[in-house]
Amino acid sequence: MSQVRKGLWRSALAAAAVAGFVTSAAAQMELKIMAPAAPGGGWDQTARSMQQALTQSGIAKSVQVTNVPGAGGSIGIAQLVNNSKGDGNQLMVMGYVMVGALLTNKSPVTLDQTTPIARLTTEYEAIVVPANSPIKNAKDLAAAIKADPAKVTWAGGSAGGVDHIAAALFAKAAGADPTKINYIPFSGGGEALAAILGGKVTAGISGYGEFESQVKAGKLRLIGLTSAAKTANVDVPSIKEQGIDLEIANWRAVVAPPGISADQKKALTDAMDKLAQSKEWQEILKAKGWENAYVSGDAFAKILANEQALTKEVLTAVGLVKS
Amino acid sequence: MAPSPQRRIDVAGLVIALLLLALAGLVWWDMTKLQILSPYDLGPKVMPIVVSIGLTLLAIGNAVGALRGDLPARDSLDWKPIALILGGLACLIILIAIGGGFMIGTALLFATTSAAFGRRAFPTDLLIGAVIAVFIYVLFAKLLTLSLPAGPLERLF
Amino acid sequence: MEAFASLADGLAVAIQPMNMLFALIGVLLGTAVGVLPGIGPALTVALLLPITFKLDPGGSIIMFAGIYYGGMYGGSTTAILINTPGESASMATALEGNRMAKAGRGGPALATAAIGSFVAGTIATLGLTFLAPYLVDIAVSFGPEDYFALMCVAFVTVSATFGDSPVRGLTSLFIGLLLGLVGIDILSGQSRLSFGIPELYDNIEVTTLAVGLFAVGEALYVASRRHVHEEKLEAVRGSLWMTKEDWKRSWKPWLRGTAFGFPIGALPAGGAEIPTFLSYSTEKRLTKHPEEFGHGAIEGVAGPEAANNAAAAGTLVPLLTLGLPTSATAAMMLAGFQQYGLNPGPLLFADQPKLVWGLIASLFIANAMLLVLNLPLVGLWVRLLKIPQPWLYAGILVFATMGTIAANPSPVELVMLTVFGVLGFLMRRFDFPIAPVVVGLILGPIAESQLRRALSISLGDPMVLLQSPISATLLGIAVIALVLPFFLKGLGRFKAVED
Repeated sequence: MSQVRKGLWRSALAAAAVAGFVTSAAAQMELKIMAPAAPGGGWDQTARSMQQALTQSGIAKSVQVTNVPGAGGSIGIAQLVNNSKGDGNQLMVMGYVMVGALLTNKSPVTLDQTTPIARLTTEYEAIVVPANSPIKNAKDLAAAIKADPAKVTWAGGSAGGVDHIAAALFAKAAGADPTKINYIPFSGGGEALAAILGGKVTAGISGYGEFESQVKAGKLRLIGLTSAAKTANVDVPSIKEQGIDLEIANWRAVVAPPGISADQKKALTDAMDKLAQSKEWQEILKAKGWENAYVSGDAFAKILANEQALTKEVLTAVGLVKS
Repeated sequence: MAPSPQRRIDVAGLVIALLLLALAGLVWWDMTKLQILSPYDLGPKVMPIVVSIGLTLLAIGNAVGALRGDLPARDSLDWKPIALILGGLACLIILIAIGGGFMIGTALLFATTSAAFGRRAFPTDLLIGAVIAVFIYVLFAKLLTLSLPAGPLERLF
Repeated sequence: MEAFASLADGLAVAIQPMNMLFALIGVLLGTAVGVLPGIGPALTVALLLPITFKLDPGGSIIMFAGIYYGGMYGGSTTAILINTPGESASMATALEGNRMAKAGRGGPALATAAIGSFVAGTIATLGLTFLAPYLVDIAVSFGPEDYFALMCVAFVTVSATFGDSPVRGLTSLFIGLLLGLVGIDILSGQSRLSFGIPELYDNIEVTTLAVGLFAVGEALYVASRRHVHEEKLEAVRGSLWMTKEDWKRSWKPWLRGTAFGFPIGALPAGGAEIPTFLSYSTEKRLTKHPEEFGHGAIEGVAGPEAANNAAAAGTLVPLLTLGLPTSATAAMMLAGFQQYGLNPGPLLFADQPKLVWGLIASLFIANAMLLVLNLPLVGLWVRLLKIPQPWLYAGILVFATMGTIAANPSPVELVMLTVFGVLGFLMRRFDFPIAPVVVGLILGPIAESQLRRALSISLGDPMVLLQSPISATLLGIAVIALVLPFFLKGLGRFKAVED
């Protein structure tokens, strides 16, 4: 028994030594995180939350957040690719929205030129209808859209964004022509929400967070989330579980500049791995209501490539991108 | 009726009319490249068409005004101060674009503007501008954690 | 009344020394950032969110409320003194306010702005307390067609900012509409007039245009004419404070401004700019001193300032009752709520009465605090105009460029500021009115997108504009406002013939 205990002690010490060494090596890290958006938005909040967790947990010595707003991230990514080549301390926050924005903006710089590091969080899209709507579930909505896509009006975010893509995919899965959907983009969540609450449109589509309090108050009816299976925070089965083959998520991730060495890439990935496990980050996720969707390394690179292909297909179908 | 001597054709007014016409043409040309994507949307072309037609009509209106010479009287123009101020702005823009930071640019802008308004103490003003720039930098970067365009000077802080 | 009791409870929360301190920090910070063009309350709240993470929810949300109201005050101070509107909603204030300041009446201008803001803020916060649940139902029933009709009313009334020549006024307006086209069209996702420059995709920032036209343009113009027309600034001429006459001319505009600001601010897509223009136009029509407009009429400061602050309180109606963030600042406050696991929405009043009423009570306190802070400062602010002219204008330019860079550190944004400055200079030289350009930039895109939304929903049937009672009424008002002046003119001529 004493042997076992000794063994345990030894391995614990070794682990502590390794951990201590790794922390001190990483603590030299002086990271720069670029939010390719103005202060205040989702990407900026992600960058500043990362800054908070990385410094408080001692994973990085210092973290500097910069904002490069414009054109759905097109300006930020251009700066990352052109000006930060080979910089192993630079990260950029990005998200699914950027995949579409780069395509519709005909950006000369693409995500293939960046070094994917890790996906951090995800938010599923929710489809809602006004509480007094005759549409009760995803099947009803699918039937209505199949009968006449023009009469089903959707309120959501900007054209070509994740809401628009999700609406088009829903129509396609329901067996209707996705180019015929009557999708009405609104600027800002509040305006779209007001249009749904006021019964001006048939359905609304956006991140679930936008609708959560209204659904709980009974002012909106949740048709379903675009997750694979029902998630813990809602009572309604996912849209896929209701028989409409639609799965899409609005995720946020970090990428690094092109041309960094394998060691640099590993150091950044390790830092993100540690961030994802840190108590500080978990607390932030909880406070902000962000769903953890941590995937790093090659697995994330693969997801990114898949999403790019799918998005291009949908945007081409609705005419926003010419093939 | 013979035109009265005061009512001469205003060349500047005609130039304004021509510029408006050119803008109308630009808006129209840009409009032709747009597509109508949604079958239900009025489309992105309507507003440019309205603006383009409006500008064309206003170009005519301004041209008529210029031919009748009823533009307001203007003072003679002193180009030197304008060149100084715009030069200061250009310095700031170029310095930021090439990564020279905003402090030097801001100090220059302060000094050139001050000179444009008749002061002849360029080095003093340059110093005052620099002090203001440092103050702004500390306020923005340290207190509000906003990233201002940094150059060699900013990195000293 | 239930609301009274709740409000009293809320006051008990807000009046706690710590919360008073938070409110004070908030109004000070808000005033400071409101002064800077480009950096508004939204940005400040965003940047402070991580810092306040550790504070208790009540205190930090009360601080945010202070920042919000403080920002509205600060924006008007620079608009009046140095013609640099800190926020787009302060633009209308700059029109008459800066003329007053240049004529040595900066003191009364600042005073009427401060007192008007207090009066409007207090009335509107009372409205928020007692009318919010009813108002919000109307606000949500506003559809795209109704917004379009509201824009029509706004377009008709902006002619008040046109000056003497309709051709020149319309030219300015259409330049604004043209600038409003620049960027990605929200409804189709295609870029217009952007020429492949990604910086132009995000539309032209209203503050960049306003600061360029007003501040930079003015500096260029004054500098270019110095040799023939020396600008003489008198910090104070006559009374530093409002005279009896000033009070008499101010109180009605304050109330009318509030009446425009609060309900329109409460609309999900209403905003604070439109009520300020409506107020300005109304005051210009109703004034007994039409000759003073354009040269510093106090009504033109009192009305828009009141409208601006009332709209700020109005924005909180949908935020607190529905969880609808209808302005950038409201969106940040929503993020602030969520940070503490509070979800503003239909249930907030029921779930967190202490917090909500504490917030509303602290709005009253912030408002009073701002008045107490700002009135004594009037004398100090006015002295700012005594700075030697070269340094004053150099400072204004540094100020304008800094605000622009801090919000968006891109040289392209500065190039735009410069181009708008040159445009402002040329327009002054050839006597084109400046304000309609900014009005066009703000109203054009809203009118276009709301009309297109309305027609998409109705599948192209234009009758939707007349079927909605709200829209039909507003369009009726627009037509009357358009025709009435001609009719009255005709009547006047008729009378003249009779005599």
